[in-house]
Amino acid sequence: MLVLFFRRAAFSAFSLLVVSLLLFVLTRSIPDSPARIVLGDQATEQQIAQFERDHGLDQPIIAQYLSWIGNLTLRGDLGRSFTTGLDMNKQVVDTLPVTLEIVAVAFVAATAASVMLGDRLCAVPRRRSRLLRAANGGDRSLCSRFWIALVLILAFAVERDWFPPGGFIPISQDLGGHVRSIALPSFCLSIFYMAVLTRMTRSSLLEVLGQDYMRTARATGLHPARVLLYALRNALVPVVTIAGVSFGHMFGWALIIEQIFSIDGLSRALLTAILRRDYAMVQAVVMIFTLVFVGANLLADLANGWLNPRLAAAAE
Amino acid sequence: MNRLNRIVALCGGAVGFAGACIVAVLLVVTIFAPEIAPFDPLQVNIQNQLLEPGDTYWLGTDQSGRDILSRIVWGSRASLMVSAFAVIIGLAGGVPIGLVAGFYRGGWLEQAIMRVLEAVSAIPVLIWAIALVGILGVRNIDLGPITISNEAKLLALLGLLYIPTLARLTYTTALIESQANYVAARRLQGVTGARIMFSDVLPNCLSPVIVQATLLLAIGIIIEAAISFVGLGVQPPTPSWGNMLASARDYLLSGEWWLSVFPGAAISLTVIGFNLLGDGLRDRFDPRHTTAAGVAA
Repeated sequence: MLVLFFRRAAFSAFSLLVVSLLLFVLTRSIPDSPARIVLGDQATEQQIAQFERDHGLDQPIIAQYLSWIGNLTLRGDLGRSFTTGLDMNKQVVDTLPVTLEIVAVAFVAATAASVMLGDRLCAVPRRRSRLLRAANGGDRSLCSRFWIALVLILAFAVERDWFPPGGFIPISQDLGGHVRSIALPSFCLSIFYMAVLTRMTRSSLLEVLGQDYMRTARATGLHPARVLLYALRNALVPVVTIAGVSFGHMFGWALIIEQIFSIDGLSRALLTAILRRDYAMVQAVVMIFTLVFVGANLLADLANGWLNPRLAAAAE
Repeated sequence: MNRLNRIVALCGGAVGFAGACIVAVLLVVTIFAPEIAPFDPLQVNIQNQLLEPGDTYWLGTDQSGRDILSRIVWGSRASLMVSAFAVIIGLAGGVPIGLVAGFYRGGWLEQAIMRVLEAVSAIPVLIWAIALVGILGVRNIDLGPITISNEAKLLALLGLLYIPTLARLTYTTALIESQANYVAARRLQGVTGARIMFSDVLPNCLSPVIVQATLLLAIGIIIEAAISFVGLGVQPPTPSWGNMLASARDYLLSGEWWLSVFPGAAISLTVIGFNLLGDGLRDRFDPRHTTAAGVAA
């Protein structure tokens, strides 16, 4: 298990390194420098040189990278934005919890539903499973989450006022309002992954239930619920992998969902930064996204090592 | 009748055939957009603004009195062009990389390429695309003799981002294929490695790649729409399904439902079409299901 952990952790660290390097080189090599954006076209060469000296932009790019990554890893400090002068740590602390909450609710809903539905759907006779297959193409059309979001707003916020059409109400202000304000966004985020994960659970569970050891388990007279529990433990391995990836993807799609529901989360901060051409902030937010993706995948790998010790043994 | 059966079988059964039909209709609409669209998609007509779907304007008009049906028809061009060219770029870049890495396995080159590609795929395409468009800016890039429009930039970026996916897929198959007996036989015949790679191994690697490319077409359409939706893709007044939805957002609360429902339906139908076709092709060409269907977006 420890070997598995260190292997995966080393790979995660490598991913972070590659992505951060790429991002850094890209943001530093764009034609218009932060100095030009802040000082405008009228600025003299001298002013620009002064600005770059003040913000350390005149250093060689590798030195800039090392100081940035050093501050980030050792002190958890994202620094101040060159263009807006705002403290980026504060911006992230203000917005990340909102996004995280919506994504977490969506994730829990998707995984819970998939495990519950997936095992019900195992009972669907083979004859009708062709219908399920045709639904595969259909459920992937749920990808157009922004459209589903618009239709849901139309149906539940405009036609009937069950949910607010947008905005975010903090939990400290009004508990009921808070729940209602995140219900639709979370649902829109989760529905596609619900479909994907349910389908995966079903096919994986069907495969495991057909194994000889499951027949033996049933033959020994174990309670059916216990048999199902054993089956699930084996069947969940591929589901957990995909769930880990899904968590990261949900984070990405939160960008669109937050835009539709006018929620001030981290994704919206990214869009604002892009429109302001605040590259330092773009870089910071994408770095946080990467951390979440890589972390979610790492957790999924570890969960699989626990679910199926053979995987952990194979790594050794 | 026999011929029809053969076509259906080629698409991988009834499901794939249904997908192929949707894609065919879409292609016709895209190619003959000027003939099919009943009105000029850019023609502003203030007197006709926000008309409900009716006899003249089948799907209604938007806030500037432009015909929604015509805008959807023309919008298919932006969506399909970005998505199709991105897949072509991804194939052109990803397949050779994966092939070389898989065929000349064991070298440091293989390790280096595959590790970096894996690291890059740690972030979903959508986030990469938005970050890169954000860094490059939404304006056209002026490169002296040629100007790169925002759509061109988007499709180039998407294409680059598809390279890891397609390279890794080709790599997996090439790794297995290059150990097959026929490769050893060709070597004994004295054929050079590069020649074996391209004329013998490559054709055998293509089935899963074709299937994945079809699925990537669907993903590309969603990503283009998503990026245009947040205002970083196709810029108004040029219609695209994504930016139509973005402007429809403002009219949702006042009850003008047709602005958002129809472009969204176009996106969903197109995505269903490509996905059904992809599923069918997968059954036909890649029964072992090596291609990832899951959450690749």
